[in-house]
Amino acid sequence: MRRGLAVGALLLVAVAALAGFQTGRDAGPATVYAAASLTDVFPKVSPSSRYQFAASNQLALQISRGAPADVFASASPAYTQQLFRDGRVEKPRTFATNSLVLAVPRSNPAKIRSVYDVAKRPKLKLVVAGENVPIGLYTREVLRRLALLRVLRKAVSHEPDVKGIVGKLALGEADAGFVYATDVRSASSRLVAIRLPKRSQPTVRYEAAVVKGAGNRESALEFVADLLSTDGRRELERAGFGLP
Amino acid sequence: MRTPFGVALALATALALSFLILPIVAIFVDIPPGQLLDGMNDPAAVDALVVTLKTTLVANALIILVGTPAAYLIATHAFRAKPLLVTAVELPLVLPPAVAGIGLLAAFGRFGLLGGTLDVVGLSIPFTQLAVVFAVMFVAGPFYIRAAISAFESVDPALTGAARTLGAGPGRTFFRIALPLASGGLGAGWALCFARGIGEFGATIMFAGSLQGVTQTLSLAVYEQFDVAFDVALAIGAELVIISAFILLAVKLVPTWTRSTSPSTTLFAPTASR
Amino acid sequence: MDTLDLALDHPLRSYRLSLDVSLGRETLALVGPSGAGKSSVLRAIAGLLRPERGRVALGEAVWLDTEAGVELPPERRSVGLVFQEYALFPHLDVRRNVGFGGREKVDELLERFRISQLAGARPGDLSGGERQRVALARALARDPAVLLLDEPLSALDAHTRAIVRGELAELLDDLGLPTLLVTHDFEDAAALADRVGVIVDGQVLQLGAAADLLAAPADAFVASFTGANLLHGNARPGLDGLTEVVLDDATVAYSTDEGGGRVGLAVYPWEIALARGEAADSAVNHIRGEVRSLVPLGNRVRVRVGPLTAEITAASAERLDLREGERVVASFKATAARLVPLS
Repeated sequence: MRRGLAVGALLLVAVAALAGFQTGRDAGPATVYAAASLTDVFPKVSPSSRYQFAASNQLALQISRGAPADVFASASPAYTQQLFRDGRVEKPRTFATNSLVLAVPRSNPAKIRSVYDVAKRPKLKLVVAGENVPIGLYTREVLRRLALLRVLRKAVSHEPDVKGIVGKLALGEADAGFVYATDVRSASSRLVAIRLPKRSQPTVRYEAAVVKGAGNRESALEFVADLLSTDGRRELERAGFGLP
Repeated sequence: MRTPFGVALALATALALSFLILPIVAIFVDIPPGQLLDGMNDPAAVDALVVTLKTTLVANALIILVGTPAAYLIATHAFRAKPLLVTAVELPLVLPPAVAGIGLLAAFGRFGLLGGTLDVVGLSIPFTQLAVVFAVMFVAGPFYIRAAISAFESVDPALTGAARTLGAGPGRTFFRIALPLASGGLGAGWALCFARGIGEFGATIMFAGSLQGVTQTLSLAVYEQFDVAFDVALAIGAELVIISAFILLAVKLVPTWTRSTSPSTTLFAPTASR
Repeated sequence: MDTLDLALDHPLRSYRLSLDVSLGRETLALVGPSGAGKSSVLRAIAGLLRPERGRVALGEAVWLDTEAGVELPPERRSVGLVFQEYALFPHLDVRRNVGFGGREKVDELLERFRISQLAGARPGDLSGGERQRVALARALARDPAVLLLDEPLSALDAHTRAIVRGELAELLDDLGLPTLLVTHDFEDAAALADRVGVIVDGQVLQLGAAADLLAAPADAFVASFTGANLLHGNARPGLDGLTEVVLDDATVAYSTDEGGGRVGLAVYPWEIALARGEAADSAVNHIRGEVRSLVPLGNRVRVRVGPLTAEITAASAERLDLREGERVVASFKATAARLVPLS
């Protein structure tokens, strides 16, 4: 009899624990799914929110499959707009812009001075992102505008997000890679940025949207408000983002 | 089985099995089989399969060829530094994969410890298929070696001693006695090593990067195909399951002598089993 | 056949193993309590153990000489070693086990040991006695110059043991090889060996024919180990050239051995006669005591009387109608009372 009671109590505790794990949707801080390039700046805008940083395309997929995000911040409008069309998020708001740079390790082993050098060097360890990752999209946009798409053949790796590119450059393993200007800011000691011709710059627009059916809608709206506030914009500017 | 206890056991088993089997079955039935097969024929999937098979084969062959004699030496000798040595072999097991990747870069990368030497020889390892092999060997190898050491240690030294007194040198003793008797443990250890290797992601992407047809293994491809073409991702997942199931079953067929290497029996000692 | 010369000096767990012995075409048994280092001796001869100092040579062939830096690996020494638990290869059948050292004599050996019908069986399927025969056959397949047996009978049950002991004694006679066997049972040693060495804590206390050990045990340990009763007392010269021993329980005993001071008095169970009263016979030692236990052993009975264990025929026990608790007299001659130094 006593053993049965003990087992029953154990089961009850287990169920309660599982229920507690369920969604984490108590009234509390907002859960923000944000593009990898926002890793350093977002916690400064809103220290109390909870974050998940990854490539925007991956986050979009997870949210479309019911991930418990309250806010989605994407490095490309493509993903927020798609989710908006699908009715998964409310109307997206632009909160920042960014630009692309060509980055090389501080030691610049391949002696790159400009984007044209990338085309000229016969053997080059170029790291790019997959074509579904925002930075990958933008990179191809840049190269298309410069008629240098063939440079992609030199890619030795298609990274799943921009942090992977930054990492390989920072370690000195890659010779060159396309990253956001803000990334070089945060890894300034290990990376050197090489400006791209103005005409080649794509429009890198960051959009944020409240996820429909969010458990913490209050906190979610608060977060977006913080993002668009004077303080928030100052943080973004300080990190090197452009402001709309 | 009619007692409440028996019922509870059966219930627990049913729960455990269903929980473990469900996600695996789901991979195969989430989309119609026709689509699944199409996914498997996708160039990304085919390339990933080829890369995985090539690198896994080479990596595991090297692990077994180098790891087995090493494990035998460690197992059959007692020396003061032994606990230290075994710990060193096991260390990669507790490293997070990303750290393992960093370690590999720090050793074999362009600016790593051996970077300069390799450069002189004209060998550059990161971003190559060799890098994938290295990553797999580093994270999965210790599983095999650790199990192999244990398997060789459990071979009754009286048996190897007997072989020596019967005229067999150390080599013949290893091949005719120690190896067959340890084979069960070696096989089980290798299955674990293989599983870890084929699922390897973190160290690979860090050290070898991910390029279709060159370094993109099945695990890396799933990650990329996930949001590009979910069907292809499922297909790749299915391929991983099939390969793993095949290997695990094959290993089970190796005759096991691990439990009863001592020829003396009591009434309750198990006899050699398949 | 050459002589096996053996000299060892090796530290073991809590004592030093020290041995210096030569054997020709004979069987020598090393007897002693477990852990006395006996197995280490065999392993050193076989080459499975390198002693700190030692020399092992078969005639001219030196297998080990630590001073000269010679050490032959086991496979180059001509030994046949039968392990205590037989160490048969579990993954090979009997034929392959026996033939592991060399395949020419396999059939002949299977025949000789009457295990031909088991050729295809695995060791796991065999009985203890069968496994022992396979182990012996296997050890002999290489035509070894020396045979080493580690506790050859201890893994067998009592019934099989008696049979195997006889067969083994015959076999050793037939083979005529220098044979060294170790055992913790003195009776086994006496039955199988030409010479017996009692080894305790790494030291050989006495080495000689079994009968000699019984007739004149070198010390208390050898005496009790060979099965004697051991009483303690104080000795001094007595009348008629005998030595008088005042035992600890105040009884007085007499021995034809010389001795003085504190001694052990050893007398073997089969030398003790029992009676209800003191008989007027030539035995001068009479010890009264209570029958504490009666243990039948085939056609004999072991009777514990006071501090002594006597062995008499079952028929006599019947005749005397011995019961537990009764007072009887245990008698033995002064010539059977051996005085040994107490260690």
